[in-house]
Amino acid sequence: MLTIRALTKIYANRFDTQAGGVREVSFDLPDGTFFTLLGPSGCGKTTTLRCVAGLERPDAGTISVGERVLFDSEKRIAVPLNERGIGMVFQSYAIWPHMTVFENIAFPLRVAKGQRPGREEVKSLVEQALSTVGLSGYGDRPATRLSGGQQQRVALARAIVHRPKLLLLDEPLSNLDAALREEMRIELRRLQQQIGVTTIYVTHDQSEALAMSDRIAVMEKGRIVQMGDPRTIYFRPASVFVASFIGAANLMRGVCDGAVAAGAEGAVRLPDGSAIGCLFPNGGAAGAATTVSVRPESIVLTAPGSGSLRGTVSAASFLGGSARYDIAVGDLVVRVVGAAEQMLAPGTEVGLNFAAASAIAVE
Amino acid sequence: MTTIAAWVRQDARRPITAAIGLVLALLMLPPLYILLQDSITTTDAIGDVTGFTLGHFGKMFTDKDALRSIWNSLVFAAGSTALSLVVGGVLAWLVERTNTPFKILAYLATIISLGTPYILHVIAWLFLLGKVGPMNDLYRMATGGTDNLFNVNSMAGMILIEGFLWSPLVFLLLGSTFRAANADMEEAARMSGATVLQTLRRVSLPLAMPAILALALFVFIRAIGGFEVPALVGMPGRIYVLTTDVYEATIVVPPDLGYAAAFSVAMVAIVAVLLYFYSRLSKNAEKYHSVTGKGFRPRPFDLGAGRWVAGAIVLVNFCIVLVLPMIALLWMSLLPFLRSFSMAAIPMLSFKNFRTVFTAPGYVELATNSLLVAAAAATVIMAITALAGWIAARRGPGGWALDQLATLSLVFPGICLGVAVMEVYLRVPLPIYGSLWIIAIAYVIRFMPYGMRYVYSGVLQLHRELEEAAGVAGAGALTTLRRIVVPLLSPAIVAGWLFIFLVANKELAIAVLLASPGSQVIAVSIFDQWVNGQGGELAAFGLIWTLLMTVIACIFFVQGRRGGTDVFGN
Repeated sequence: MLTIRALTKIYANRFDTQAGGVREVSFDLPDGTFFTLLGPSGCGKTTTLRCVAGLERPDAGTISVGERVLFDSEKRIAVPLNERGIGMVFQSYAIWPHMTVFENIAFPLRVAKGQRPGREEVKSLVEQALSTVGLSGYGDRPATRLSGGQQQRVALARAIVHRPKLLLLDEPLSNLDAALREEMRIELRRLQQQIGVTTIYVTHDQSEALAMSDRIAVMEKGRIVQMGDPRTIYFRPASVFVASFIGAANLMRGVCDGAVAAGAEGAVRLPDGSAIGCLFPNGGAAGAATTVSVRPESIVLTAPGSGSLRGTVSAASFLGGSARYDIAVGDLVVRVVGAAEQMLAPGTEVGLNFAAASAIAVE
Repeated sequence: MTTIAAWVRQDARRPITAAIGLVLALLMLPPLYILLQDSITTTDAIGDVTGFTLGHFGKMFTDKDALRSIWNSLVFAAGSTALSLVVGGVLAWLVERTNTPFKILAYLATIISLGTPYILHVIAWLFLLGKVGPMNDLYRMATGGTDNLFNVNSMAGMILIEGFLWSPLVFLLLGSTFRAANADMEEAARMSGATVLQTLRRVSLPLAMPAILALALFVFIRAIGGFEVPALVGMPGRIYVLTTDVYEATIVVPPDLGYAAAFSVAMVAIVAVLLYFYSRLSKNAEKYHSVTGKGFRPRPFDLGAGRWVAGAIVLVNFCIVLVLPMIALLWMSLLPFLRSFSMAAIPMLSFKNFRTVFTAPGYVELATNSLLVAAAAATVIMAITALAGWIAARRGPGGWALDQLATLSLVFPGICLGVAVMEVYLRVPLPIYGSLWIIAIAYVIRFMPYGMRYVYSGVLQLHRELEEAAGVAGAGALTTLRRIVVPLLSPAIVAGWLFIFLVANKELAIAVLLASPGSQVIAVSIFDQWVNGQGGELAAFGLIWTLLMTVIACIFFVQGRRGGTDVFGN
């Protein structure tokens, strides 16, 4: 169990701007969780990870793994990073070019505090790690003669060879090409489940986060703005920021038509007078300004007149597997993803239909 | 004890900083302190302070000769900077950015000049341009008169020789600037319809301008502190500059150390101000540095028929910088006494001087001493800066202070450092004065900034995560240093060592006041021989020495290319 309480680290020189530091971040992770910190660059996700690793010294807060306190600002405890026993994969992989693959992976065993494993044990542990990442037989290779994907695997093997309680992954897929990234995404998840290690994964790629995680924390300006499983994050975004950062979202601004209880469905009246049904996760007061988020793929285009809204196709792109439309609804441009077999020409009048349950009042 | 343990535990680099900082402070601060003290005090016959005075400075600012020296220094430095910048800059652009022929010659001249003591070049040029030299000889033959075309012992002669002395360095540094420049920008200008010259004037030069200005300031600082040319060319013509004034004031009997110190303080102040602007300028230069990284292939301009003009320029420069001086030295080395090129002298040519060099015991000892002192200094410097540079580049505890301390000696012109070190170790109760150790210490102080520079930029090239990964894997600071940082840094450390080894064997100014008959180094011994009129032997010895140093300079170049570190880490 990883517990983080009120973790704060502020970079003084950037105090007034959006970038820099984390503020009062707290979360608990049960053992074996694949946890993702997701957010745009500068939101504090990497800082959080580096605080856990011991690479940065937080200003305040506590970090503990199980009973062991790694950091506590009030009790003035700060375990040095090399005594934390954490595995980490860096964004650049940080494979040491002057060592072989074997020596890279064996390094954590060779510098371990206290009882160090013997020569035979090192050998078997490294080979085990190599086979876990699918690189058996690569041990003698110089580290400089590895492809990007292989370096990634070596970095992973080095991070897990000493059986850490916690595995930290700092945007490990961002340096790979698209096809390899897809493959490694599945591979990483499989591996994590196989070893069962608690993992914190940092990324700015929302599809990675959705595909791999048990839980996701979306961060903005140093704070966690929503935490939950991938489905909740995607379908029940808690704010305009989350809605627009995770996938594409149509944001429609209007006024709440009447008081709505938390978790109930209600109606929002748009500036042009039309009303749309939507879900209010936090309830709403009559007359309150409200923003509604609707995913492009939740909207079905119908004949004009039927459906919640009506509009005109202003742009249509054929994407192969799907078609993407920009629909002008009054002053608003609504993005819709639909079937591509039959394309609608620009200028076509359409109706827009969506279930109230897939339209979320986010603010 | 527990507080110390906690202090160390929080950042294991702290004890390293403390230890290295102490060593650096002990090396760097006393010379500066002693110069300041000497410049404002009077001393008795045995060197004890007897009172406070501003008289040394007063003399400096009122004495007509002193003021003339200051003016001469400025003219000399400005003139030679301009000359070396034009010569080296044109050459660098032709070689790096055009399809001129004979490119290899420019590199060859640079490598060999890197290994040749400055003083040998100066002596060769003194011969070539001097009264008995071939140039005035030819002129007298042509006119039939007894006048000389050119008096080498003049300000013009000094600027000419110093300018060509520095042009290889300018070539090397500007060459790397031009090489790193993004060819896309020049091609964009060409595609917009600009000619080669328009492109050069409107795009290439403005882009390189910050680097050129920084380099100009750098050469100016070095020329202000230059000693070889003022001593050998200027002094016989009664043209004094600041460095030769300091030298004179130190070697007269009794030495006027207060006056020498006051001059030194003035020079240190000037250099410190210039260095401040230099560091600002070179930061600016980095902004324009449009390195494109991997897969970068320079695309040179096609000069068309003009490439043969360019080739002629490269060839002439090669002759001036390398061929003529070497021929002059060879000629001198084969003759029993100095005389101009002539058919009449040919029967007198012999290898007698070379035989003397190889058989006389003094030369072997001299060479061994020089190599030993330079190697010791380079080793000590790299050991200190490997730690200090790493901590400074990684902004570790006290890193800023380490950086400042290690680069403090940049403010000392060589001759001033010589005076200061002499003064310090005259007073320290250690049997160092008059031995080779004192020269080694002066070298360590003088060249520490170079080691720092090599390590610092080497560390910046290492991805930080390589070290962080070792920390996360469980390694402490010392293990990370030993197993990760030092092995990865070894190309930079080796390059720095070789560079310091080479320059330590080149410079005269630092050692000239510190060497004594029993503890000589190359440059000083050549200086003495020249003054004593033993031109033939010194030329023979100098040629052999140059050959040896050229081999080391070649290793340095190969190492620099392989390790990817900037050659000449200024």
